Amino acid sequence: MVGTGSSRPRIGVPRSILHYEFDGAIERFLRRLGMDVVLSPPTNHGIFQAGKRVVIDELCFPIKIFVGHVAHLAEQDVDRIVVPTVVGHTNNHVFPCHPRSRLADIVRALGVCDTEQLLAPAFRFDRDGLTADGFRELARTLGFTDAEADRALPERRVKLDRALEARQAGDGLTLALIGHPYVVDDPWANNQVIRRLERLGCRVVTNLETTPIGYAPEGTGLHFALAARTVTLARTFDREPEVDGIVFLLPFNCGPDGDIARHLTQITEKPMLTLVLDELQSSAGMITRLEAFIDLLSCSSIPVGGRAA
Amino acid sequence: MNHFTFSWGTNYIAVRGLLRTLGHDLATPPRIGPAIAERGIACAHPFLCFSGKLVLGQLAAQLEDGERRLAFMSSLGPEACRCADTSDYLRTLFSNHEGFSAHRLGGGSLTGALANLRSHFGPQIRKRQCFKAYAVFYGKVDLLYKVDKRCTRLRCLSSAPKQVRELEREALERIDRAPGPLALWRVSRWFDRVAARLPLREEPPSLRIGIVGGEHILSELDSVMAVIKTAAERGVLLDWRSGFRMLARSTEKALAPLKATCRDYLHEAPSTSEIFSCAHALDFVSEGYDGLLHIYAFGCMPQTALKPVLQRIASDAEMPLLSLAIGDRFAEEGLEGRLEAFIDLLDTRKNEGDPQCTNLPGLESMSDRSRARFSSSTRARRSLPRRTGERAAASSTRSRKASARWLRPSEAATSSAARRPEAHGGSSVHWSAPMW
Repeated sequence: MVGTGSSRPRIGVPRSILHYEFDGAIERFLRRLGMDVVLSPPTNHGIFQAGKRVVIDELCFPIKIFVGHVAHLAEQDVDRIVVPTVVGHTNNHVFPCHPRSRLADIVRALGVCDTEQLLAPAFRFDRDGLTADGFRELARTLGFTDAEADRALPERRVKLDRALEARQAGDGLTLALIGHPYVVDDPWANNQVIRRLERLGCRVVTNLETTPIGYAPEGTGLHFALAARTVTLARTFDREPEVDGIVFLLPFNCGPDGDIARHLTQITEKPMLTLVLDELQSSAGMITRLEAFIDLLSCSSIPVGGRAA
Repeated sequence: MNHFTFSWGTNYIAVRGLLRTLGHDLATPPRIGPAIAERGIACAHPFLCFSGKLVLGQLAAQLEDGERRLAFMSSLGPEACRCADTSDYLRTLFSNHEGFSAHRLGGGSLTGALANLRSHFGPQIRKRQCFKAYAVFYGKVDLLYKVDKRCTRLRCLSSAPKQVRELEREALERIDRAPGPLALWRVSRWFDRVAARLPLREEPPSLRIGIVGGEHILSELDSVMAVIKTAAERGVLLDWRSGFRMLARSTEKALAPLKATCRDYLHEAPSTSEIFSCAHALDFVSEGYDGLLHIYAFGCMPQTALKPVLQRIASDAEMPLLSLAIGDRFAEEGLEGRLEAFIDLLDTRKNEGDPQCTNLPGLESMSDRSRARFSSSTRARRSLPRRTGERAAASSTRSRKASARWLRPSEAATSSAARRPEAHGGSSVHWSAPMW
């Protein structure tokens, strides 16, 4: 801990979008600076409703969840709330989608919290995650020097500590889950899809359990960073002999992933199930679709995943 | 060799000019209409924005007609939206059409543009050829914008709307035929001469509406904007300052003042469409326009993200705002109905002293103090004597002069020096910088 602040202001960090996307880097940084960090609770129905009440209908599902987290924090006893602005990749070839790069503007325009409460540092990212500039800007806003910020910088690396081979062996199918980190890693947003698949006897692998692809990989020719990441993940899992099928989580009205949804089915050979996640999702409908997909994979005479089912 | 492309209004004319300079040609894209929209909806993912569906519809129709070489303009810079990554996407989407190929034009700089042209047409393309091709492209982009803006203005101010439509049609044909910068300059002079001779209405514009929104919609001619422009023929002055030209000409230097304008509402982020719309909306507010119209394609990410910001701007300025999302279920009748209702609301708000108008939906967000201020100003207007006899005739002459004054921004575009702002009807008039 390097912080020298005497009053230790309470800083709210929404547990949504960028928190999942950058593996909690901003929260860890603030804690290392000595801030009293209030992380919003895991997404629940109340948080989502708080966001849905104020956000316009056309914005995507994750933005509604994010605004709900900010609204929740605004009701807590916090001095500031971090709503970062992601302005793009250092290579200037891939970009965040527009709503994600406008999170702070949307929150301010909707009046979810006091404008004075908002901390909106501008972050850039590269292959390994967020670069130092945004952290320094955040630290300066809180009265720290660049040197103090540099000492508190979190490790700039997407967590990739588990290998596919290390998974527990079993007889069930192995399904790869692809999609944006804030959908794959948020159990409420994805309607507990991992737990449901495991209950159906499947093993589920996500980006944490495969060859490192880094953040916003290059070479896909795509404009949006997370769409490029999703395509790279799909290709990676498609080559993985252990994987029998791919489940693609597509949040409602997500532009970048909507663009690649059909593209994905054509560039992969393995069976793919696309699940659209929205505020009206029903457990029954999702379970039926998952069961049907698993039945299809189990009964298929076509060899999948390198072995006959 | 023939190519094909999609259209953002008349932008294909500029792309065709570029290709013709290099000895190639471009097919005219089919007109936007229900059939094209249905085609696009059928082959696109539901989350693709409506403009994207129209683009795909146009491409699919031309592919079925036997076209195979797609050439599209994109700088691949931050202002580029989904159209930036169309190459791989389109190859996948249209892979069943044998021989289909997609080629990106543009490039953000002369070097990038030259590299793109060489990758498509071969290494024999010289820097000089590239420079000339883009000089023609940008010349046509600017002139198309000027013709579109001035003809829309004339539709409101001229007493001969049919002649205006004829003038616009002929101007587009002449621009398309013009082979180089000198010919374009001649077309510009011809257009100015003919436009200046058109008869003007006696009444000045009843309302002024500032339009912001997606560039691909604002540039469009055949469908959505055709309906919007009918309002001009009912005496409403429509103004928008964005469109394909803004995207084609966007540079950091050009964006800097716009970013400064919208600093209170938008953080620094790598996009341009939101900056154009936000800055222009704030300009319309400061220039005392009667209302704001926000038009965008359903699913358009930049404009959807901007929508809450525009609502905030309208709320802060107490200015009525109508947001029109154009989607798969778009119908011209519905659009006309909503537009008429909005114009009626603005008309009531501006001209009638009826205290009931303070209860109109657009005024709900007013604070008590501004509601009182608004009511007192309408009461003051109501107490003015009605115009009769000589007084009305004198007023009519003044109005006619006022109508002529509304044309001056475009006239200024043809002179070397931009004219100064002047007051009109209690609010300042925007005087555009020379466009040509």
